[in-house]
Amino acid sequence: MGEGVRVEQESKVRVETEADIVLARQQGRAIARDLGFTLGNATLIATAISELARNIVQYATRGEVILKRIENGSQKGLVVIARDEGPGINDVRRAMEDGFSTSGRLGLGLPGVRRLMDEFNIHSEVGKGTTVTASMWKS
Amino acid sequence: MNLSLEELQREYTSALRQHLVLSDEVTFQAAYEIGRRALVEGMGVLDMAAIFHRAMVAVSTPAGTAREAARRFEALESFLLESLSPFEMAHRGAREANTALHRQNEVLEEQVKRIAHEVHDVAGQLLASAHLSLAQMQKKAPQLRTGIAEVRRHLDRIEEQMRRLSHELRPTVLDDLGLLPAIRFLSEGVSMRSGLQVRIESPVVGRLRPPLEIALYRIVQEALTNVVKHARASQVHVGVEVHDGWIHCRVGDDGIGVDRSRASAGAPATGLGLIGIRDRVASLGGTLKIESGQDHGTELCIALPLESAHESSRRAG
Repeated sequence: MGEGVRVEQESKVRVETEADIVLARQQGRAIARDLGFTLGNATLIATAISELARNIVQYATRGEVILKRIENGSQKGLVVIARDEGPGINDVRRAMEDGFSTSGRLGLGLPGVRRLMDEFNIHSEVGKGTTVTASMWKS
Repeated sequence: MNLSLEELQREYTSALRQHLVLSDEVTFQAAYEIGRRALVEGMGVLDMAAIFHRAMVAVSTPAGTAREAARRFEALESFLLESLSPFEMAHRGAREANTALHRQNEVLEEQVKRIAHEVHDVAGQLLASAHLSLAQMQKKAPQLRTGIAEVRRHLDRIEEQMRRLSHELRPTVLDDLGLLPAIRFLSEGVSMRSGLQVRIESPVVGRLRPPLEIALYRIVQEALTNVVKHARASQVHVGVEVHDGWIHCRVGDDGIGVDRSRASAGAPATGLGLIGIRDRVASLGGTLKIESGQDHGTELCIALPLESAHESSRRAG
């Protein structure tokens, strides 16, 4: 995100179980619809949240998903931050390649999320955890 | 319907039924997960559409008020979108991979061009210097004449080999003059080497996009090689024309033809060297048709879009 991006409101969901994933998706979808995203794009946002939250449950056991409204001039958007204090990713570049995992071969997982969203950033440290930031702007 | 598909169908129908009663995130998540599982198990978008259709039929109820019907349609749509979303993700991945493949192809052609240039020009200059040195040497030591003449013959052979290699890599006539002069040049070589009569017919003048010129040149090159190797033909015609935004290229011979059963399947095509042509055509969004009959010769009909899908979609978007 560039400068001048104003953060309006945020919602934080603790993610540990399947039910938490559903809650994170619900929050994300609600904000997306409220911002005026189309049904299709709101669905893609929910999908990105699903994939990120699924990674948290699968690899880090627990973590959190933060959903924020963002603004850049007249543009409005939504950012999804998925954060955990899990084992971290040893080789982030490889993790972002298709084919790194079974779901990756199909274009799902982290590379899939990157393609669904307008902006994508990942930071990971072994033994400390992973933070993924992904945003979509309303076109 | 295999077991896993039946199971998916049952879960999907039940989730849709719930969704219509109580549209909430749990049923959305279920739709998404079922779609994701279907994708992982190798099903396609059309399978998903069929699953959705069957589920919709199964949960159909008599129409209520207009408002109820509208709400129902909306719920159906959002549910369908959820289950298709994993396929959208996969589709974007495939599209990105295809673009990368294209770019890589361009980079490869660019490298080949550079190597061809180096081989032709740079090595050619070095050889010319070697000839000069030999000439000086002969002046100083006329008694070495026989030996020097032999070295010259070797150098000439090297130069000939390099020139051929350079042209095979990337004919400069293709870059400088375009497709048809390059095909004419190629055909002359084929005729000289094999005795095959090559007739070229084309009203096409001017230049095409470089990737198209390169692809068509390589296709004709491969096709002529096939004719020489397998067809036992005496004549071959090459036709190139443009119609409605497509370029059509035909290469037909009067040879023994290929057995239909052998030409259609994938494996025998390897032996006929058609795989390369097929891949090239496919990567440019074109079509390839092989017409052949025993003793009736063989004709390859290739059609390629003049404008790349990538460019036109970029323009549209």
